[in-house]
Amino acid sequence: MSKKIIDRLEAQFGDRVLAKSGFRGDDEAIVAPKDWREVALFLRDDPALELNHFIDMTATDYPMREGLPRFDVLLFVRSQTKNHRVRIKARVAEGESLPTLYEVWAGALWSEREIFDMFGVPFEGHPDLRRILLYPEFEGHPLRKDYPIARTQPLVEYRDVEGIDKLPPFGPDMGMPWTRVDWAERMEGGDLQVSPDIGTQQHQRLALSRGLEYLPTGEPGEAEEKPSGE
Amino acid sequence: MPTFKLDGVEIPYEPGDTIIRAAWKHNVEIPHYCWHPGLSVAGNCRMCLVEVKSARPIALPVVAWDEKKKEFVPATKTKLTPACATEITEGMEVMQKSEAVVTAQRAVQEYLLLNHPVDCPICDQAGECKLQDYWLAHQKRLKRKHTEIVHRSKTVRFGPTIVYDAERCISCTRCIRFCDEVVGDHVLDMRERGNKNEIFVSPGRELDHDYTMMTEHVCPVGALTTKDFRFKARVWFLRSAPSVCTGCATGCNSWIDYDPRYQRVYRLRPRDNEQVNKFWMCDDGMMSYKRFHEDRILIGRARQEGRVVEVPRKDALEGTARLLKATRKLALVLSAQASNEDNFVALRLVRKLAEQTGASTQLYLAALGGWKGDNILRNADNNPNRAGALAVAGHTALAPLTDLVRAVDAKEIDAILSLGWAAAEGVDELASLASIPHANLSSNIGPLTQVATLVVPVATVAESNGSFTNAKGMTQPFKKAIAAPMGITSAWETLIALAGSLGLDLSMKQLSEVRGALATHAAPTTAGGTLAPAE
Amino acid sequence: METNYEEFEEDGEIELPSEPMRLNMGPSHPAMHGTIRMVLDLDGESILDVDIQPGYLHRGFEKSCERGTWNQVFPYVDRLNYVSPMLNNVGFSLAVEKLAGLEVPARGTWYRMILGELARISDHLTCNGASAMELGAFTPFLWCIKTRDYVWDILEQETGARLTHSFGRIGGMAKPPTDTFKEHTLAVLPQVEETIAETEKILIRNRIFMDRMQGVGRLRPERALALGVTGPVLRSTGVDYDVRKANPYMFYKDVDFDIPVGHDGDNYDRFIVRFEEIRQSIRIIRQCVEKMPDAGPTSIDDYRYMFPPKDEVYATIEATIAHFKIVMEGVKVPPGEVYSFTEAGNGELGFYIVSDGSGTPYRVRARPPSFLNLQACREMLVGDMIPDIIPTFGSINMIGGECDR
Repeated sequence: MSKKIIDRLEAQFGDRVLAKSGFRGDDEAIVAPKDWREVALFLRDDPALELNHFIDMTATDYPMREGLPRFDVLLFVRSQTKNHRVRIKARVAEGESLPTLYEVWAGALWSEREIFDMFGVPFEGHPDLRRILLYPEFEGHPLRKDYPIARTQPLVEYRDVEGIDKLPPFGPDMGMPWTRVDWAERMEGGDLQVSPDIGTQQHQRLALSRGLEYLPTGEPGEAEEKPSGE
Repeated sequence: MPTFKLDGVEIPYEPGDTIIRAAWKHNVEIPHYCWHPGLSVAGNCRMCLVEVKSARPIALPVVAWDEKKKEFVPATKTKLTPACATEITEGMEVMQKSEAVVTAQRAVQEYLLLNHPVDCPICDQAGECKLQDYWLAHQKRLKRKHTEIVHRSKTVRFGPTIVYDAERCISCTRCIRFCDEVVGDHVLDMRERGNKNEIFVSPGRELDHDYTMMTEHVCPVGALTTKDFRFKARVWFLRSAPSVCTGCATGCNSWIDYDPRYQRVYRLRPRDNEQVNKFWMCDDGMMSYKRFHEDRILIGRARQEGRVVEVPRKDALEGTARLLKATRKLALVLSAQASNEDNFVALRLVRKLAEQTGASTQLYLAALGGWKGDNILRNADNNPNRAGALAVAGHTALAPLTDLVRAVDAKEIDAILSLGWAAAEGVDELASLASIPHANLSSNIGPLTQVATLVVPVATVAESNGSFTNAKGMTQPFKKAIAAPMGITSAWETLIALAGSLGLDLSMKQLSEVRGALATHAAPTTAGGTLAPAE
Repeated sequence: METNYEEFEEDGEIELPSEPMRLNMGPSHPAMHGTIRMVLDLDGESILDVDIQPGYLHRGFEKSCERGTWNQVFPYVDRLNYVSPMLNNVGFSLAVEKLAGLEVPARGTWYRMILGELARISDHLTCNGASAMELGAFTPFLWCIKTRDYVWDILEQETGARLTHSFGRIGGMAKPPTDTFKEHTLAVLPQVEETIAETEKILIRNRIFMDRMQGVGRLRPERALALGVTGPVLRSTGVDYDVRKANPYMFYKDVDFDIPVGHDGDNYDRFIVRFEEIRQSIRIIRQCVEKMPDAGPTSIDDYRYMFPPKDEVYATIEATIAHFKIVMEGVKVPPGEVYSFTEAGNGELGFYIVSDGSGTPYRVRARPPSFLNLQACREMLVGDMIPDIIPTFGSINMIGGECDR
């Protein structure tokens, strides 16, 4: 397709381009992680290349390959002006990090988060390296080959979101929304929320304002804690 | 070592090797049906045709269609040679990817499928069938002859174990040659010609020697099937674990084929080992997997007031611990059916116990009484690990169970700890073993479990890691294939847990630690060699 | 005491003092099509910053692909962009064919192009119809969905399913076109044209619609490129990048069509670009229908990759074996890695696939256009107001299945 990108890259970086291939017309160059950012800047800014259109970043896990680091991190970019594209690859060992390309192409921000999320490859200098498709409590990195596909994750504890006062109406409640009556409990005088005798207006207001998290079930004013998910 | 060239790759060979054997030794596959490394060369399937480069190639005169002249014109084609029947000469250049060879392979494969029935969905061989593999690799195209195939007999009973399907047969004669050359029993032969060609059993005979199931194993297609495995499982659901046959002291290497979904063993297959069993196993050995699921003990047993009742495994273990604590004169019965690890840990436990409580210990050996041996594979001793048990005991001689009966009758023993179910003696002869506290660790029901007052269930060979030492003194490991049900563990793991509850420190917990201790176990093996298997 | 509003007044508007407020929008919000969560930092009604949190529809697409056979990926790709699944089917087929070096017969390629463009029409109709509905114009939505159903009737006739077709195969399509395929397609196209003409008539000079759409959610072309935006969203900014023109695949270089581009990069342009693309798709389909031969194979005849015909499977051993091998062991795609990309409804849909030579994919990466377009949504929204979220989010056409995979 456009062998000249690889040639230009080789002319600039010499043997810092570790390997190149053109399998099925996909031009690919492999560089060392330490050259990652420099190569990216060159690709974007070189007037002969002008690879200004960010396409994608992803990774592949090869835990069994010998003599090579575990992960391939791939960058796909194209040029809108020249209409050519290239694939750049860096091989990263477990625990090793890559410099972020966020400042080179803004689109790398989320792609890098996704690689971190799915493979656990960290990016140095990334301003916002959170998980993106999965939740913060997720254990492990699912696209690693050693993550079993049938693995189940532990139940997540109820999470308090900092800075948001209004709690969403789900939490460790008694297993049912607050408007429903647990008749079995009520007949024993237990369903305090709707019982006119024990459940005072005050308690009802408390229950409403706090979600159902601290809905009193024992003595008025006392909160019974129940672990979530039961 | 001299070398020859196969598709441009230098491959060493030993003088006298054929092309296919030298390639096979170096893991290069030349497609073949009739050739088998353990059998003589027949050269009748023609699948292994290769082109040998020569200064004076033999060209066969043929006629070829000329598109321009619209007529057949004289032409030549290269003569190919069967790789199974061609001895290598120095510097020979062989090609199996040349156009002539590819055409020949495709033609041979197409010919073999010419009258093949559409049986894959109901054929037990599907998934491990050479016809399927070679279609994908060499033929790659659909049928050109759209007429009804020639039908032949199906479901022919060859004997108590084997069923024959003539339609699937490609007449490679592997089964005939196996019976002739390995077993020495000319019970199979071939009759008729062309479309009617089929294998048959000698008149007045059945296929009933000791190695009948091997004919199914050597069959490259689904023509021969065993009655045991027929329609039981689909092979693509099965997984294999390397194991050792428990049938006799030969210790044939085997594959345990199990279904991971149901945790169930479906068959044993021989695992090639030039030094032990070559490529073969006997029928009784291949059927020994039945014991993994039949007559199992899955829950503890205790003899209470003369009656045998089932108790939880935990209770049986606690009872065993009480028995060991209380005893002053203990008899330990090792088993020739148990692995080296089982016997060794049991011995270690009893020795430590003796140090702690001062009890005296006597060692005995329980073993099966032997079966019909032969000069092929079957050893007359039908215990897989007699050599290992003797070696574990080392200098201490192992007395037979009859001695134990006598000692119990003479009140020289006050408690017994025994391994395994197997014993040559009958329940009647051993009856007095039940007169004193007798704890038994067993996977199956057998004479020993019948005369125990307490039975702790343990895992079978398929469910545990361990090793057997065969009659030649070779120690061979076997791997856990399936998970034992209901929290059962292998005997050595159970014994280590038991030692823990008794407060005895055996200083080993993992398999590697047990193997390490076995390797340094000072006792020389009776037949030489080491007790710890090489991984 | 009377408040002196003069001191708050600035440019004729009263600026009330306020402090930033954080508001959680979604994941389940009536105006968000697709479960997505936005944590907004607000100054009054103006958006100071927005943290867009996708992932609520993450089903482990890429992981699931690594355990079946290559052909078992097709049902999964159906569920990426589930509004135009045929484009995903074709995209994945092309990727595996690129890796295996296969070439589909001409008739099959034309067939794929027609089906793909029909899917694109259904995708754009859905997006624009929903955009209008979310601004209160319910009638155009009903028109668009009705017409989409006509398009789906064609797809149903061809594939047997309205939505999740699973119709692609490595080396062709599952079945050849039906006898009435061409007539049916040509009969539906005028109805599509009529619908978009009517919808445009009711909307594009509509004062309310223009006020809500024009100048809202703007994106500059340089930023769009750096953010990896593709598809109608990129073209609305004036960048004429369309994979069908830039890197023509299948027979797109043999058909005449134009790339409609906007120049403001706002919601209004995106709306116009989508309708214009439908017109171009109709143009492409008409040419394809003309050029597609009526007879001939639609799939390759290499049965190591392609399923043999069913009647052969039941009657001959060779076809039985081929079928068995493909189903039980999977297609043995030669080892290697390729990136293949096509123009899907939302932009460049790329498949980066790695094969280790076994019947199971080693890695399947879908480059989701929605994911990268959604990332640019932050730049579109900052500075706008809360009501602007609705048309902006609608016009980037985030499809949860594709974005979260």
